[in-house]
Amino acid sequence: MAKSKLKQIAIYGKGGIGKSTTTSNISAALVDAGYKVMQFGCDPKSDSTNTLRGGDYIPSVLDLLHENSRVDAHDAIFRGFGGVYCVEAGGPQPGVGCAGRGIIAAVQLLKQQDIFDELDLDYVIFDVLGDVVCGGFAVPIREGIAEHVFTISSADFMAIYAANNLFRGIQTYSNKGGALLGGVIANSINTDFQREILDDFVARTRTQVVEYVPRSLTVTQAELQGKTTIEAAPRSEQARIYRRLAQRIAEHTESTVPAPLSPQDLRSWSAGWADQLIEIERKSQHLAVAS
Amino acid sequence: MTPLDSNLPAPDAGICNGSGPLEQVRYACSLGALTSVIAIPGAIPITHCGPGCASKQFHALSGINAYQGGEFHVPSTNIGNREVIFGGADRLDELIAATLRVMAADLFVVQSGCIPGLIGDDIESVVGKYRKRGIPIVHAETSGYRGNNFTGHEAIIRAIIDQFVGAYDGPQEPGLVNVWSVLPYQNPFWRGDLEEIQRILEGIGLTVNILFGPSCAGVAEWQAIPRAAFNLVLSPWLGLATARHLEQKYRQRFLHIPAIPIGAKLTSAFLRQVAEFADLDPGPVETFIAREEKRYYPFLRDFAAFYAGCTSQYQLPSHLVVISESAYALAITRFMVDQLGLEPRYQLVTENPPGEFRGAIRAQFRNLVEGGGAEVIFAEDGRQINRSIRQADFTGQLPIVFGSTWEGDLARHLGAPLVEIGYPATDEVVLSRSYVGYRGALALIERIYTTVVRKNTMA
Repeated sequence: MAKSKLKQIAIYGKGGIGKSTTTSNISAALVDAGYKVMQFGCDPKSDSTNTLRGGDYIPSVLDLLHENSRVDAHDAIFRGFGGVYCVEAGGPQPGVGCAGRGIIAAVQLLKQQDIFDELDLDYVIFDVLGDVVCGGFAVPIREGIAEHVFTISSADFMAIYAANNLFRGIQTYSNKGGALLGGVIANSINTDFQREILDDFVARTRTQVVEYVPRSLTVTQAELQGKTTIEAAPRSEQARIYRRLAQRIAEHTESTVPAPLSPQDLRSWSAGWADQLIEIERKSQHLAVAS
Repeated sequence: MTPLDSNLPAPDAGICNGSGPLEQVRYACSLGALTSVIAIPGAIPITHCGPGCASKQFHALSGINAYQGGEFHVPSTNIGNREVIFGGADRLDELIAATLRVMAADLFVVQSGCIPGLIGDDIESVVGKYRKRGIPIVHAETSGYRGNNFTGHEAIIRAIIDQFVGAYDGPQEPGLVNVWSVLPYQNPFWRGDLEEIQRILEGIGLTVNILFGPSCAGVAEWQAIPRAAFNLVLSPWLGLATARHLEQKYRQRFLHIPAIPIGAKLTSAFLRQVAEFADLDPGPVETFIAREEKRYYPFLRDFAAFYAGCTSQYQLPSHLVVISESAYALAITRFMVDQLGLEPRYQLVTENPPGEFRGAIRAQFRNLVEGGGAEVIFAEDGRQINRSIRQADFTGQLPIVFGSTWEGDLARHLGAPLVEIGYPATDEVVLSRSYVGYRGALALIERIYTTVVRKNTMA
């Protein structure tokens, strides 16, 4: 049985939104703070943990399962920055097989071999591919594998759609022992307007923003070195923000059932914001002409 | 009590509805149509599915269904977790290559089951590679969730026609006919019935591609499909999709006769209808009919002594309860009402026919005989069927039940004899027996009234 202090967290977000970047910085900040952490990448691309390992790819659980029907889970666990444990679920080649089933198999393998318990971990953070497209990608929020779910979203509407879909998944499993929602990590937020969009979305869906993370060149520079910001620029403002985010997630205890918008409501809501955007744009053009 | 409702929502066109939990299964899944491949002499199915799927379907359809037996040599990928995650196409490729090394066949039919359908294996690219090398091999998608063995049967036929028989723009042979009738293995009497249908059609001068069973000439018959002058669909709905496809593909006409004829009157009428459609010389047709009737009617005359009560004191049934797939339900109801004078009481069709055909099936039952018909009910759940018929009032009536082994309790409850005509049938051993045409009708009468007599004498 898992020790009570182990906290399992799942972080979802639309592809390309900065999910793995943020997750890896949270993991790095937590190990830096002295916790024992495992980051579990649940994406067939298998690149969740790259920046924790100097840009190196690691063999995934499914790579090993492809070679042998019996796999020792230890062979899929690699150490990274500050001793963080890195695991990639992996998946089939694009367009073949069932990636969702692959994630189920990979998570089950580690659970069956009591790895979380054996490593005496404080945190397991699942970094999960964006949309909850099928049952396999909902595994971390089902079956009590993760206790708290966070979603990363920018103020981009497609990212918000993905977040809303995730909320629907959480709502589905909420009365069946599934994980609940901790909140939204607002990423690439550089303007008040972007902040307002996300604040409005979380208010309507009855959740919260855990942290506002701005877009930063520091992150890009760190990633080009194959590192997290925590490792590459530990004293930067961005690193301070990631540390604060990690601390909030570490201290987070009470998750809730979100109230996702219906597809129609979501469309109306985004159309309303789009109208405001056009209005702002029009005014700024008038100002430019007047000056 | 759940009343029987003939107006339940019909499934979508072309496929059978998922019907939820069922008590007393009455058909197999789409993959079960591998029995149709086995029914073609010289053809072998290769199944791409989970362990046990293929063998369970075959043994269910052939074993507990009049103990038909049959050759089951079916290579299967037996795919598991690994293939689900990484895809099963490579495994199928390996299996086909291995099969070709150790098995000889005139035609291989790769049938994919549920798992490849769900994970989206690109089976055509694997099978197409062998086809390009000249191997007679086709692929039919028979995922279990897509339908039952009836719709799977049509998927297999379609695959063979499109991928193996192929294009044809040559002349049609006058008098050559493709026959699409009872479903092999599902109907325990299919072998004898197809033989009888072939015999009588050849009797009036046609050349027959019967396509399934011991009297089929094998894959060569399938290759002759495009040369046929027309298609004969002899069932309420099964085969219609095939005939329509052939109409498009080879510009072949088709004749649809929903009720398989049983007995001299109906069979002779059937043959005259076919002969007229095929534009046959009436002389030889009438000669054949006369010869058949000359043999048939003396037997019926002798039976009349029994039936009129001259030679027996047995209580003979007066009302019909038929619970079966539509082909036999329609054919037997029609024969019993038209020829033996019974009253239709319950006519249940149990194979979950696609929605697009249900209206036509209803009409076929309503127009059963001149001036009379029956209301058909679509039902497949044993509990629903049983409870509804049990509560009916049969006062003053002597029912007889035509159905499957599942109807044993119901028949006992009604005090009625039970004649097993459909799947599953565990109280019949059937080899070449037929219940259709001229000869089959006599066998059917023998079986019905032997059952009736035994109900009286062995009770």
